[in-house]
Amino acid sequence: MQWQTIYKKEMLDHWRHFKWIWVPIVFILFAVMDPLTAYFMPIILESAGNVPEGATIDIPTPSVGEAMIMSFNQLNMLGVLIAVVISMGLISRELSTGVYELILSKPVRYSHYMTAKFTAMMTLLSVSIILALITGWYYVTVLFGDLAFTQLLTSAIFYIFYFMLILSIVMVFNSFLTSPGLVAFLSIFTVVVLNAFTSIFDHVITWSPMLISDYIGTYIFSGEIETDLYFSTGIAIIISLLLLWLSIILLKRQEMH
Amino acid sequence: MDDLIIQLILPLVILQLILIIVALIDLRRVEATRGPKWVWILIIIFGNLAGPIIYFIVGRKG
Amino acid sequence: MAIMSANYLTKTFQGHTVVDDLSFKLEPGKCVALLGPNGAGKTTTLRMLAGFIKPSQGNIQFNEEQFAKDIRHYVGYLPQYPVFHNWMTGEEFLIYVGKLAYLSKNEAKTKAHELLDLVRLSDDKQKRIGKYSGGMKQRLGIAQALMHDPQLIILDEPVSSLDPIGRREVLNLIRELKKDATILFSTHILNDAEEVSDDILLLNHGKLLKQGAIQEIHSQQETKTIYLAFQDEPKFIEERLKEFNSVFNIKRENTGFAITVHDVNEARAQLLEVIQSEGWNLTKFEVLSASLEDIFIKAVTE
Ligand SMILES: Nc1ncnc2c1ncn2[C@@H]1O[C@H](COP(=O)(O)OP(=O)(O)O)[C@@H](O)[C@H]1O
Ligand SMILES: [Mg+2]
Repeated sequence: MQWQTIYKKEMLDHWRHFKWIWVPIVFILFAVMDPLTAYFMPIILESAGNVPEGATIDIPTPSVGEAMIMSFNQLNMLGVLIAVVISMGLISRELSTGVYELILSKPVRYSHYMTAKFTAMMTLLSVSIILALITGWYYVTVLFGDLAFTQLLTSAIFYIFYFMLILSIVMVFNSFLTSPGLVAFLSIFTVVVLNAFTSIFDHVITWSPMLISDYIGTYIFSGEIETDLYFSTGIAIIISLLLLWLSIILLKRQEMH
Repeated sequence: MDDLIIQLILPLVILQLILIIVALIDLRRVEATRGPKWVWILIIIFGNLAGPIIYFIVGRKG
Repeated sequence: MAIMSANYLTKTFQGHTVVDDLSFKLEPGKCVALLGPNGAGKTTTLRMLAGFIKPSQGNIQFNEEQFAKDIRHYVGYLPQYPVFHNWMTGEEFLIYVGKLAYLSKNEAKTKAHELLDLVRLSDDKQKRIGKYSGGMKQRLGIAQALMHDPQLIILDEPVSSLDPIGRREVLNLIRELKKDATILFSTHILNDAEEVSDDILLLNHGKLLKQGAIQEIHSQQETKTIYLAFQDEPKFIEERLKEFNSVFNIKRENTGFAITVHDVNEARAQLLEVIQSEGWNLTKFEVLSASLEDIFIKAVTE
């Protein structure tokens, strides 16, 4: 009951602040941007007419798989960035303005407060990711050839768990910092460090959640789900839950000034 | 070719327009912004895809 | 029976003791003022009593239950600087807060409307809170504290930040509420305490200096003031009066003299005698009890 109350209020908040409109649109635009550019680039260059007589433009047209992966890559960069900045103030802003004190003076369970906010944001992000990837898939199939829809959908679902991990990192910083900007900075810093670490040791830590999008790429090419994809996604889920649990504990110890 | 452009580009232009309109509606409704409102109008309209996004993320105050 | 007792409450932040070994009880139906200068530890004390932060030592009991559940169930709390979700309407916010405190949707709605009436925000209930004035926000803050019918209402500096009109409105509201509720409110303004409270708790540097009923504290005071006024000012009056050992201090005021005395009976006799024998033409002789302000300043500076 209390959990649903907070969840509904968060959804209303996202709606009143138009997040339900702009986040999906922005994700969709990110997802179609690169495949579209890749398709039209040779045509644009040709029509620009500054090609010397006799020279042939040789930009290889990407395959379906490559084009689809371009969509994922955009979301991997810009999508993650947007996800971090729209959730950087989820709790930290309430701590710094003082709304937190008013709300938490009611018998609100810290776990409800944290997980309802997390789930509402996760709902928004999941819907945006799915819509973006479906649109991306539509563009890619129209321009580059066939790709099974179920394959795309399966990839999207795995991909959502990568965002779940990102959001739980943001929640940890939210639970003890009062500056949204600092929360965003440290979250992105953490993701960058984890990525760097993974790419240095990628033969050792094949289960790193940072490799989820790589494994999705392999799956899109081969049509076969490797165990590494299951494994790294499982790890992402476990780490997310642990981080959520940690952020609840940190929040309980929060003593506002 | 032309058909394809209309079929693929037009929806994106519409989405971009929706983004701009929603940002402008929000700008009208909101009590305070960081910096003057007219600057935000320019950013939203001429800032391409980034304009409305930047507005939604840092434009509103409080 | 006390509805709440605080036992040996202590709060330490990074080695600094901000609240030091407070013990007191709150009787049902009383309106108690927690009085103290800025930084005395009022907010910290109230946050502990509201269940918002945990005491470093000591405990808080409601209804003398040894192992109480979450004390936030018993308490309605208005923070010193209440901040709301400004995008919500006043009505939405109250219903939200009510549901957080385990009211059903219908209960929350009914209660919200009742309280919006009480704090006279019914006409503005559909407005976004961002558009409310300071006084309106403070009244909404009091309403949200009452949503779950708490046994104890805790208000942290409810009038300090308001203009005179807002202040009057909120004080009247507190006077209304105290008819059937127990209220603990903090203030650094003595007039507020005197105006609406039955009892006071005087806090400074985290320590409880005085507690009790206002009248009791008045009558405990050993020094009192006698106010004298004359038609024309007698010569050498200050020198003459200083000779008495019962006179502690003489302060010249606009229309007469405020004389602080130790033993009021002895002083009254001596003063009247000298006035009589000198033939000073007295126009006013008044025994005043020390104001709460005197008590406050004395206790805080001691
Ligand atoms: N969360 C905190 N961390 C560290 N110090 C604090 C914290 N909260 C309050 N203090 C300190 O405790 C003292 C008392 O503060 P407070 O309870 O707000 O006093 P009052 O409400 O009487 O003005 C102040 O010196 C303040 O700086
Ligand atoms: Mg205070």
